[in-house]
Amino acid sequence: MSRRRKSRGLPASVLLVVVVLLAAGGYWIFSQGGREGSLRTVEELDPSLYYSNANSLRGNTYRINAEIDSSLGNSPDKGRLFSITLRDASKAGAPVILPVLVPPALGSLTIQKGQHYLMKVKVGDNGLLSVEEAHKP
Amino acid sequence: MKRKIPPQVGVIVVSVILMTRLAAQAPNAQTIHEVGQQYKEGNTLQGAMDNSAITSQAMFEANLKAKKNIVDMKPNTFLSLWNNPAFAVQFEKYLSAPAETTEDYKIYRERIQKIMDLLSPGYATKANQDEAFNLLSKASEFESDANLCTTIHDAVYAAANVRVLVMRLTEANQQNTKELKTAEYNQLHSAQSLSLPALAPGKNDVVVNNEIQKELRTAVMEPSKDEVSSMKATIQKNKAQIATAEIQAKFQMQALILQLFVQRRYQHVIILNRFYRALFDDGDQSLEEFNQMADKMGYNKEAGQVKIVADAAPKGSVASGTTGNNGPGVGAHAGDNGAGVGTGGYYGNSGDATALSGSGLNLGVQNLSVESAQNALSTAMRGASRTFKSLSQIDSVANEIIRDVNEGVKVYKFLLEKQELESAASQIAAVFTKGEYLPSVRLLSQDDKRKTLAYAQLCNRLVNAANSGNIDILIEVVDKMKQLNPGFDDAEIRSKLQSVKTASSLYVAQAKVAAAKGDLQGVQTQITRAAALWPNNPELQTFSAEMSRVSEKASPMVQALSDFDQLEGQGNYRRIFDEKEKYIAAVAADDSPKKTERQGKLRAVLDRMQEIEASIMRAQEISRRGDQAGAWEGLEVTFQKYPDDPKLGQLRADLTTKTPDFVNDIRQAKEFEERKEYGSALAWYLRAQGRYPMSDLSKQGIQRVVRNIAPNAN
Repeated sequence: MSRRRKSRGLPASVLLVVVVLLAAGGYWIFSQGGREGSLRTVEELDPSLYYSNANSLRGNTYRINAEIDSSLGNSPDKGRLFSITLRDASKAGAPVILPVLVPPALGSLTIQKGQHYLMKVKVGDNGLLSVEEAHKP
Repeated sequence: MKRKIPPQVGVIVVSVILMTRLAAQAPNAQTIHEVGQQYKEGNTLQGAMDNSAITSQAMFEANLKAKKNIVDMKPNTFLSLWNNPAFAVQFEKYLSAPAETTEDYKIYRERIQKIMDLLSPGYATKANQDEAFNLLSKASEFESDANLCTTIHDAVYAAANVRVLVMRLTEANQQNTKELKTAEYNQLHSAQSLSLPALAPGKNDVVVNNEIQKELRTAVMEPSKDEVSSMKATIQKNKAQIATAEIQAKFQMQALILQLFVQRRYQHVIILNRFYRALFDDGDQSLEEFNQMADKMGYNKEAGQVKIVADAAPKGSVASGTTGNNGPGVGAHAGDNGAGVGTGGYYGNSGDATALSGSGLNLGVQNLSVESAQNALSTAMRGASRTFKSLSQIDSVANEIIRDVNEGVKVYKFLLEKQELESAASQIAAVFTKGEYLPSVRLLSQDDKRKTLAYAQLCNRLVNAANSGNIDILIEVVDKMKQLNPGFDDAEIRSKLQSVKTASSLYVAQAKVAAAKGDLQGVQTQITRAAALWPNNPELQTFSAEMSRVSEKASPMVQALSDFDQLEGQGNYRRIFDEKEKYIAAVAADDSPKKTERQGKLRAVLDRMQEIEASIMRAQEISRRGDQAGAWEGLEVTFQKYPDDPKLGQLRADLTTKTPDFVNDIRQAKEFEERKEYGSALAWYLRAQGRYPMSDLSKQGIQRVVRNIAPNAN
């Protein structure tokens, strides 16, 4: 019976180079998108679903890409109420303007008209979107 | 009988007149005032005389149908008795009077009974007759007797005196007869013993001698002749006087007996009859003098008969008259119970006349004169003489009536116990008619008579109601009669009443037909007839109301006010606004108490409509500029305030189709807001505002929702 021929593998140097390259890429990625890392796994809000039946979304958490439209009110207890325009939705048609409540816990967050934020919002009992996290992109 | 027209009839007629005049004769009149002014200016009501004639005709028909048919049909015997007013009054008085149970009446009854017992056959001895005679004066002391016993006493006394006179004259005649015989004998003796001179001395002395003899005979015989003649005359005169006195006494007593019979004083009849029999032994021929006198009475055909107005109540009348010389005395008397005439003695000087009308012979007269009264007397006496041939008959009839009345009283009480009131009432009426003064009738207790009195009063009311033609009252009375007396036969009355009602309703129906044709005269005729038959016919009221409505329709102002009230009540303000000129004028001219209220309502309607119209005009203008959402929003605000205006609603609907997304956003926002889903509501308001940034509704909605989410937000 014939003896099997011993296969040849990649040279160790090549493997080393590959590993180094992967590590460098990972570092770059982390160094580039670290602030959005926490919202990456959050589902984006569907405006049409929200308009038609916000009750069905109650308790859910969504990610929105919002531009601050105007301040609707400011309550020491409840927080600040803003109207925001969804950036992605406006591309499809009429602007989608939604109200969001920035709770007092995020009081340190400086919010002004025209600012761009990535927000993590939770649908409240009365359909109001309450901001849990907000980052500038 | 004239009857008054009920006021409601006048109202109806006036209403009809107004209506028809408004509709037909005053085409240019716009208001009732104007129409009334036309009347004042001489637009007279034509055919007034015709209306009067029609009314009279209707009255006649009403009488014919209601009164005559009901009253004259005499539903029962008792009711028919009440057609005699005199009887009704007398009878009602009796029914209301208490029973005569006083001690006085008891003594009186006992005395009358004692007199009757003393004079009864087999007991009428001389001593009993004297005792009865003496009791007459005592019985007469009582009011119930009405002094009749005194009259009997006097009549018996006079008759007894006549008997004494007759006896005295008879004795005188006997003595005269004896003396006459003596005188005749003496005369004969004188004649036989007369001695005359001898023959004459010479031939030439014969004649002279004869003359002397003749004178001598005359001188001797004349005194005795005169005595005989005188005595004969005296005897004849006494005989005539005896005959005259006895006949006069008998006649007077007979007449009194008949009079008492007519007066229904049957006990007195029996008493006097028995005295008569004791005084005169005439037997069954005792009324001979009365009958002969009746037959001798002449009858003056030229004078005619006194026309008798008789009724069923047998009442007697008494009269007296005086005549001179030897002729009949005639007395006439017209009293409450009619006329009485009588005759006095034929044979005496200055005879008193006793007049009577009895046995149902004469009651009430016309054509009364001496001659006609004589004729009536003659007829009455003949009637009496044919009714009773002897005193025995009168006595028998009086006793029978007393028995019959006593039995009737018992029957009355029995029927009363059985609650057969109609029969009982008829019975008591008959008993009262026959023996009003008999003890059994007088002793009926007031309680026994009260029920009949109530029934009698109802009968009177029945007659009066029938006479008045008011069938509503008639029905009420019939109901009460039926209630009081279940045996009352009301079938015929009710049948007649129903006929009258039906006739009245038919007249109303004809009036409606006439009204539909615009026939004023016809309406008046039929309504008058209907009201005459049944004044309270409910259909008349209905007809009146209908006519009033019709007449109101003829007035634009009244109609406008009515329409305004109706439209305002319905909330149809648009209709009022569309014809606001008419309603403004009508309310301004309204002179009713509702004017102030109407003015307030009209002002509110006009303010509302002006606001709506302004909103509509504004929306239309905005829409013309292309701002459909703005137009809709402006209209929506007004619509929320006045959602029932059709024009506003229509324009809003039109604008909704021109800006559906915005409208949908607003509606969705409001819907979520109402459900307190403020987050969603705010999102929808923001969306609407995004579509129409000038939207006030969105802005207000946002502010409202934000306050709900964060009440203390600034």
